[in-house]
Amino acid sequence: MGSDMDALMLRSLQGYVRDTFGPQIWQAICCHAALSVETFEPMLRYDPGMADRVASHAADVLGRPVETVWEDMGTYLVTNPRHEGVRRLLRFGGSSFADFLHSLEEMPGRARLAMPDLVLPMVTLREIGPDQFEVQCQSRLKGMLRVLVGMLTAMADDYGTLCLIDPDAGDCISVRILDSFHGSGRRFDLALPEK
Amino acid sequence: MNAAPLGHDIGIGIAGLSQFMPMYLLLDAAGHVVSAGPTLLRVLEGQEVIGARFHDLFEVRSPGGAVTVAEVLDRAGQRFRLAPCHRPRIGLRGLGMRLPGEEGVLLNLTFGIDLVSAVRDFGLTDADFAATDLAMELLYLAEANASVTRELRGLNLRLEGARMAAEEEAMTDPLTGLRNRRAADLFLERMCSARVPFGLLQMDLDFFKAVNDTLGHAAGDFVLESVGRILREQVRAEDCVARIGGDEFVIVLPNTIDPQTLQAVAGRIIAQVSEPLEFAGNLCRVSASIGIVRSVDRLSPDAPQLMAAADRALYAAKHAGRSQAVLLVTDGS
Repeated sequence: MGSDMDALMLRSLQGYVRDTFGPQIWQAICCHAALSVETFEPMLRYDPGMADRVASHAADVLGRPVETVWEDMGTYLVTNPRHEGVRRLLRFGGSSFADFLHSLEEMPGRARLAMPDLVLPMVTLREIGPDQFEVQCQSRLKGMLRVLVGMLTAMADDYGTLCLIDPDAGDCISVRILDSFHGSGRRFDLALPEK
Repeated sequence: MNAAPLGHDIGIGIAGLSQFMPMYLLLDAAGHVVSAGPTLLRVLEGQEVIGARFHDLFEVRSPGGAVTVAEVLDRAGQRFRLAPCHRPRIGLRGLGMRLPGEEGVLLNLTFGIDLVSAVRDFGLTDADFAATDLAMELLYLAEANASVTRELRGLNLRLEGARMAAEEEAMTDPLTGLRNRRAADLFLERMCSARVPFGLLQMDLDFFKAVNDTLGHAAGDFVLESVGRILREQVRAEDCVARIGGDEFVIVLPNTIDPQTLQAVAGRIIAQVSEPLEFAGNLCRVSASIGIVRSVDRLSPDAPQLMAAADRALYAAKHAGRSQAVLLVTDGS
């Protein structure tokens, strides 16, 4: 049993659209994309490229660029309480936003610890200057870079860091940290309370 | 500064020690605490640590029988397991050594497998661990694993739900909502192999073809649905009612073998089915013939045989003038 990026992206897109716009809109997107199912399973496999295809239909139905759809989905994954686990796993990356950026390169390795056959996109971080970074993200999925942009934006907020995050035309995102202690950020306890 | 080779004697001081080993414990020769690392102090919060005796702060789990730090080092060599006296739930693992010359003892402790509860209980943060400690990776892994397991459990539940729905659909006659032929066969086989005594009713509608031919298929479907409703009302939850063909029905009644009871059930069904039904302003009149057999009338009941016998009983009922139920006790086969 394993997972792949198309499955994770499709499941996330489904959650984002249903939670943000309602189940009817998701139904309309599935209908527009002529899908035989309306539910994607994160642990199953789908045709490569299916996530990008469904997202372009979502963009049509929602009437906004596909890049915006992916970015908003990235933000949703980090900020929605139903996906608190995603935010927590990312926060284990470091005690500051800069630390967290450095941990991005470890992400594929970390994912493999939990799911040996999950291949996450390769992320490389270049430190261009003090508080200035370039995040390169190589993925076969066209939407991946934009999802990362959305997630980085939300994580900066989570750490209480003020920064500028801009994707360039290629596969890089430029990140400039303006103020590491801009806000109080969200609290992060290393261990979840006992149930 | 003397010129001893680098590493011969490293003097990193208490501050350096605290950074490299935030859970160190330094004891004098008598086993009294001289100093402790900042994370260990958080674990021992509320205790008088400095000057306390080792065995007043910790309970030794292994090596067995050791109480004082000297006994620990003598028996275990360098590795041992402890728990703080005031928090026995948190196990600690350690490594210790006697310091040359000064007659003191240096211990370094770690949480081992109780890491998650320790982090929760003491509200530890990543600043409480040495940068080289794998604690963060372990915490990360514990949570990542829990998420994956949760996802898998969810997937299993959703697949099980889908499987049950598909199975239900495969066993149901869509028009009447009764079971279908396949479900009835399975039910019969289960009853036979479990040796549950049962009565089997096979029913055929009389004059159904006339309704279909004169009033159309919609009227025919309406009649079938109505008969389905009647049958559902006449049986118990544990009985099986199925439509096995066009206007053929089967009813299996587990633990019901009394001939009078079976005849009474059949009689009630025939009476109700024979009530005229109104469909689109027309009256539909049908009736029913029923053949009855019992599993206990055979030496070794098997499903196909019983169905064949019920079919013969039904034929006899039709021959006897319709709207009748015939119980066939033995037919020589």
